[in-house]
Amino acid sequence: MGTAVTTLIKDSPPDAPEKRPGAPAAVKRRGRRENLAGYLFMSPWIAGFLLLTAGPMAASLYFAFTDYNLFDSPQWIGFDNFTRMFDDPRWQKSVEVTAKYVVIGTPLKLLLALGVALLLAQSRRGQAFYRAAFYAPSLIGASVSVGFVWRALFSDDAVVDRTQSFFGWDVGGWVGDPDWVLYSLVALTVWQFGAPMVIFLAGLKQVPKELYEAAEVDGAGPFKRFWSITLPMISPVLFFNVLLETIHSFQIFGSAYVVSNTSCGPADSTLVYTCYLYQKGFKEAQMGFASAMAWMLLLAVALVTAVLFWSQKRWVHYEEASR
Amino acid sequence: MGDNGSVERRTVLKAAGASLATLGLATTTACGGDSGGSGDGTVEIRFAWWGAEERAKRINQTIALFEKKYPKIKVKTDFQDYVAFWEKFQTQAAGGNPPDVFQNAVAFLRKYDKRSVLLDLKSQVDAGNLSLKNFRAGVEKVGEVDGKLLGIPVGSNTMSLVIDEKVFEKAGVKPEQGWTWDEYFDALEKIRNKQKVSGDTGYFGIMYLYDLYLRQNGKAFFTEDGLGFEETDLTEWWTDAYNRVKAGIITDPKKIEQLKPKSALASGDGASEFTWDNFTVRYTTEGDSTYGLAPIPTTDGKETGQYLSSLMLSGSARTKHPKEVAQFIDFMVHDPEVGRIMGYDRGILASTEQFDAYKPTDAPNKAIAQYEEDVAAAGVLGTITPHPAGADTVEAAFLRIAADMSQGKTKVSDAVKQFFSEAESALAA
Repeated sequence: MGTAVTTLIKDSPPDAPEKRPGAPAAVKRRGRRENLAGYLFMSPWIAGFLLLTAGPMAASLYFAFTDYNLFDSPQWIGFDNFTRMFDDPRWQKSVEVTAKYVVIGTPLKLLLALGVALLLAQSRRGQAFYRAAFYAPSLIGASVSVGFVWRALFSDDAVVDRTQSFFGWDVGGWVGDPDWVLYSLVALTVWQFGAPMVIFLAGLKQVPKELYEAAEVDGAGPFKRFWSITLPMISPVLFFNVLLETIHSFQIFGSAYVVSNTSCGPADSTLVYTCYLYQKGFKEAQMGFASAMAWMLLLAVALVTAVLFWSQKRWVHYEEASR
Repeated sequence: MGDNGSVERRTVLKAAGASLATLGLATTTACGGDSGGSGDGTVEIRFAWWGAEERAKRINQTIALFEKKYPKIKVKTDFQDYVAFWEKFQTQAAGGNPPDVFQNAVAFLRKYDKRSVLLDLKSQVDAGNLSLKNFRAGVEKVGEVDGKLLGIPVGSNTMSLVIDEKVFEKAGVKPEQGWTWDEYFDALEKIRNKQKVSGDTGYFGIMYLYDLYLRQNGKAFFTEDGLGFEETDLTEWWTDAYNRVKAGIITDPKKIEQLKPKSALASGDGASEFTWDNFTVRYTTEGDSTYGLAPIPTTDGKETGQYLSSLMLSGSARTKHPKEVAQFIDFMVHDPEVGRIMGYDRGILASTEQFDAYKPTDAPNKAIAQYEEDVAAAGVLGTITPHPAGADTVEAAFLRIAADMSQGKTKVSDAVKQFFSEAESALAA
């Protein structure tokens, strides 16, 4: 959610002042002065952008083509970091783990978000409370402390393990088991379905009531109404959520780092892409390789986004009027 | 602001002022770590170390003492566990902002000397701010590398086997100096059969223990610039380990993973653990049983391959207060009261002043003193193999890959190959 808001703000530049051709010199001067004030007011942001975003990005792009251990000056090695990546079994593992996480976690989260949004869209008592309650995890979910709580919940002999054992399904704690631990991370992201849910709710409110009434008159059942009216009508919102959540999922770091007790293990089973990147950069001091990995991630996310945009022609329906 | 069409000069100036203030603020924050001297000549130095709560308590007491004696020097501390400590240190050092004084160990001397991070303390010794007198035999030279004085030892320690004494006793197992690996593994089996506890918490991933085993067999983990053993050696070591995990005499690796950062020995999920002898202090605080020290198993019934290692205090080459740094190290290493407070938490005290001042009365510290005496008496102590730069990365890879292997996620042969390839690239870097 946070990302969405900032993106929107970033992408829409403040309205440019209207040009007034042929205006008298005094007015022009005033306009210039006004601009100057504007730039001055913006300067903290511009300085921040240059120093904290653009600068580091440029530096990291340069480092991606060097051998850089943080101490000695970087040595230019061309595309070596990129070719080395594909030969590195741990890098392959990290791609595999991340892909698994994205492919399993994102649809589950969106399904749950949509399901709960459908339930909450109808007016009934206590609605506001339920909306707030379901949204709350999204607000606190990214914090490190929740990671710790999650680790405690899914440990050996903790709540989840005992509940499972009670039902005769004995796998031990998820946290120490390479086959299970990734699913505890999936559960953590699914639990934070509040943000897409709120967006779905907004989308559902936009669907004209007349459509449902007309369909009901024609004898369409609830499923048919959902499939033929709701889904197509909210498909732009669905598209937005799919896009955002997918991009988000690719960037998973904090929860994997904390739940694995900073090891991204056991047996590299929570070695998500950014976790390996972190290890390479800060534990092994291979900042050049880490930078190359970061740019690779950017490329991958851009590619996935492009594919999603391409696919929307087939399944996203915009009303003619709003095109 | 566009509404009235005019902007006062004042507004512009204000905006400029605000921007400058913001920038100024950012600069101040960025340099917040740097501590200059303040008006009254008071100097602040940063001291970073690794360890757990118990050590923190003791160190804070010693710092209070130091600040009393040197009222013009303030000491700010910072601590993490071992792995997190070096991660943070590396980033700080790379950014040119390492702590003024920090705990150090043999594995890191060459690495950080190569990168000009460490302060050569020789000049401070010559200036009389730091004394090199009165160190116990065998430890006084540990901080010297290539003619430079890069660290001053605070304590010496050696690898040991920490055991849950109650469990060992109930199972009727008595470890003795010179016992063999076969006897050790038989003991673990006995413990499992009689006490239903896995005997060992995972010996196979501890680099320093494997080093001892290799030394018993005429090899070593590290040579000056590489690895001192072959793929076949490691294949054997890990194949046996894997079978022992499967047989249930080693604690389930899944369990170990979930207990972290707590030790499985302290939680009662294992009966013994190989580690540095001074760590017993930690187990006693964390666990409920009584913990003792047992000898390292041997191959030939005699040689354990052990050596004395040392924790050191080093200074940063970047420090603005080398004199105060030297005074702090001198105090920490020589002051008898500090020795009484620290006990053997960082190993047997290195200077004779501190060693004589502290006579252990509590069980864990007594045991440590007794242990080192026994080891020395057994005549098994050798000298440490110097670690090449990159050794720390190799150690981390060894631990991680061993854990993967024990979980059954990697076949032993693949694990060995992976370790050798990662080690080679780490040592070459």
